[in-house]
Amino acid sequence: MDMEIDDPMHGSDEDQLSPTLDEDMNSDDGKNNTKARSNDEDTDEELEDFNFKPGSSGIADHKSSKPLKLTNTNINQLDQWIEHLSKCEPLSEDDVARLCKMAVDVLQFEENVKPINVPVTICGDVHGQFHDLLELFKIGGPCPDTNYLFMGDYVDRGYYSVETVSYLVAMKVRYPHRITILRGNHESRQITQVYGFYDECLRKYGSANVWKMFTDLFDYFPVTALVDNKIFCLHGGLSPMIETIDQVRDLNRIQEVPHEGPMCDLLWSDPDDRGGWGISPRGAGFTFGQDISEQFNHTNDLSLIARAHQLVMEGYSWSHQQNVVTIFSAPNYCYRCGNQAAIMEVDENHNRQFLQYDPSVRPGEPTVTRKTPDYFL
Amino acid sequence: MLPEKRLLTPDDMKLWEESPTRAHFTKFIIDLAESVKGHENSQYKEPISESINSMMNLLSQIKDITQKHPVIKDADSSRFGKVEFRDFYDEVSRNSRKILRSEFPSLTDEQLEQLSIYLDESWGNKRRIDYGSGHELNFMCLLYGLYSYGIFNLSNDSTNLVLKVFIEYLKIMRILETKYWLEPAGSHGVWGLDDYHFLPFLFGAFQLTTHKHLKPISIHNNELVEMFAHRYLYFGCIAFINKVKSSASLRWHSPMLDDISGVKTWSKVAEGMIKMYKAEVLSKLPIMQHFYFSEFLPCPDGVSPPRGHIHDGTDKDDECNFEGHVHTTWGDCCGIKLPSAIAATEMNKKHHKPIPFD
Repeated sequence: MDMEIDDPMHGSDEDQLSPTLDEDMNSDDGKNNTKARSNDEDTDEELEDFNFKPGSSGIADHKSSKPLKLTNTNINQLDQWIEHLSKCEPLSEDDVARLCKMAVDVLQFEENVKPINVPVTICGDVHGQFHDLLELFKIGGPCPDTNYLFMGDYVDRGYYSVETVSYLVAMKVRYPHRITILRGNHESRQITQVYGFYDECLRKYGSANVWKMFTDLFDYFPVTALVDNKIFCLHGGLSPMIETIDQVRDLNRIQEVPHEGPMCDLLWSDPDDRGGWGISPRGAGFTFGQDISEQFNHTNDLSLIARAHQLVMEGYSWSHQQNVVTIFSAPNYCYRCGNQAAIMEVDENHNRQFLQYDPSVRPGEPTVTRKTPDYFL
Repeated sequence: MLPEKRLLTPDDMKLWEESPTRAHFTKFIIDLAESVKGHENSQYKEPISESINSMMNLLSQIKDITQKHPVIKDADSSRFGKVEFRDFYDEVSRNSRKILRSEFPSLTDEQLEQLSIYLDESWGNKRRIDYGSGHELNFMCLLYGLYSYGIFNLSNDSTNLVLKVFIEYLKIMRILETKYWLEPAGSHGVWGLDDYHFLPFLFGAFQLTTHKHLKPISIHNNELVEMFAHRYLYFGCIAFINKVKSSASLRWHSPMLDDISGVKTWSKVAEGMIKMYKAEVLSKLPIMQHFYFSEFLPCPDGVSPPRGHIHDGTDKDDECNFEGHVHTTWGDCCGIKLPSAIAATEMNKKHHKPIPFD
């Protein structure tokens, strides 16, 4: 029986994959095997702590010491899930648990700076706009025929964060060398409790278990990518504590997004017209000027920093004299911004092309039945 | 002592949630809501009291300021809010004590000082150019403060505080939201009630509790929404949402409102709105970390100390935690060089830091 094998496009990635966890980290994880409690009172207590314990979902228990092998069974299961999700139907809680466990065994082996070869199509924020994500794949070409790099913010604000992040994670596990999913500032426990993903999980699953699974999984997402050693890709921007890409490689990324420090900055910072470093009005990260991005690109022999994080009306926007490009991939963001979305294609010769697109046409009324929020019972 | 932000930690929130201050303020909101049961927007109480007229004059002065700062700069700038909002904000904050004094001459200088910060912060965040239910809350704190200082008498003024004052405030906010493209502060996106406001839904639900024909499900009937938009706050909000949200029906862009429309009676909606306001506004740290405590809204004992920076009209105390540091202009302080940025990070580690805004 023939088994489909996902061959890497350019040689083996074996040498580039290395665990980022040391022995101490493994030991610590071993203590964090609390099973999720479904009792409402307990959930309320945990919510009151504003600090759901990392690892409480259990999806990272019994992590493998080797990358996930795509067996025939795995492939069939993943294809089934992808087919199911492409109809915009969420997976069952059990299937989410299985998917997240598989994903941990893929993502834990990825580097903080994920190396990527051209050609690749680079994408910005999606924010739960699932139908627009499908539109993105129509415009850019289906995966795995096209290689993709997503720069974070899959969840919050949109109606379909669950379907969106499930789909992208399933695609990642199914085609690990054809799609890269980075972490955005919204891939965080604290932020998703504020901006919608938590509410959505409660509504669609009746408890916070799936939210716990995904937020535990988010800790394993890589934070940056490097395309042919020339294009540095990340969600937010630069950090005053990071001058070289090697310093990114040295970070311990497997944690909740901290409120300050270099990892926070990579996910929260914004480019600014003003020079130098500034305090970000977001309350996390910094703003950085052209002098900073020019120096960073020069020091690291880069041609470009590609990032997301900010709404731009045409879907992409250059700044700092083409040292930095912002890419935003959620059209008509929050149904009110009227913006285009864009993705950036980088071909074999490093030529860049922006593909812009509008919101997908919505298929009639949503299929979900109304569910009375608890406050109104 | 000027009003200060104090809530930073989950423990702070517990102290706040159990405090008399929160109980009294919540009762104020509920009293206003109860007072508009069965009232259309035009069914305000007459004669209108002198204090309500004074408050309407105050809002008229604010409205005049909105006319003075047209949008000139790049209409397609990527950061959505228009920078001219800052000019509006600056003019309000420069004049807020004078405006309050001109309408309420009996207030002392100390009382004016306490109240003016809430007036300044009722319109949005100057730096981020955004607006959300936290700013709406500041406006209600202003009304509560005036009530605490004896300006409003609730037995006489409560209905008109909603049907005259709050409605006028909402009209001004619509001007600001549409003119300066204020970003939704702390937006849940589709999972919130509305991008900007909470209380019009709460007050609106109370208005409708005795209505014989309109039902919560009626919000899906666009003809009814247009017909009743100017008569009931709830339908006014639905009409505004239908106007600014494009390419999809209410069921797509507002699933929370869609879910609530399945509730059978407006009484249940009204009751639920109170619970939801307590839980989603008054008990949410991202919103309450920006709440100002004051002489008339005293901070419970045991809450984190002030952030070492008094209000100077720019809300920069969220962004720069240097204790006692004097702010002048952006370039002098917050446009700091690399070594100072590291120092800033080191300093921040010594304090609980507010939850970032996105």
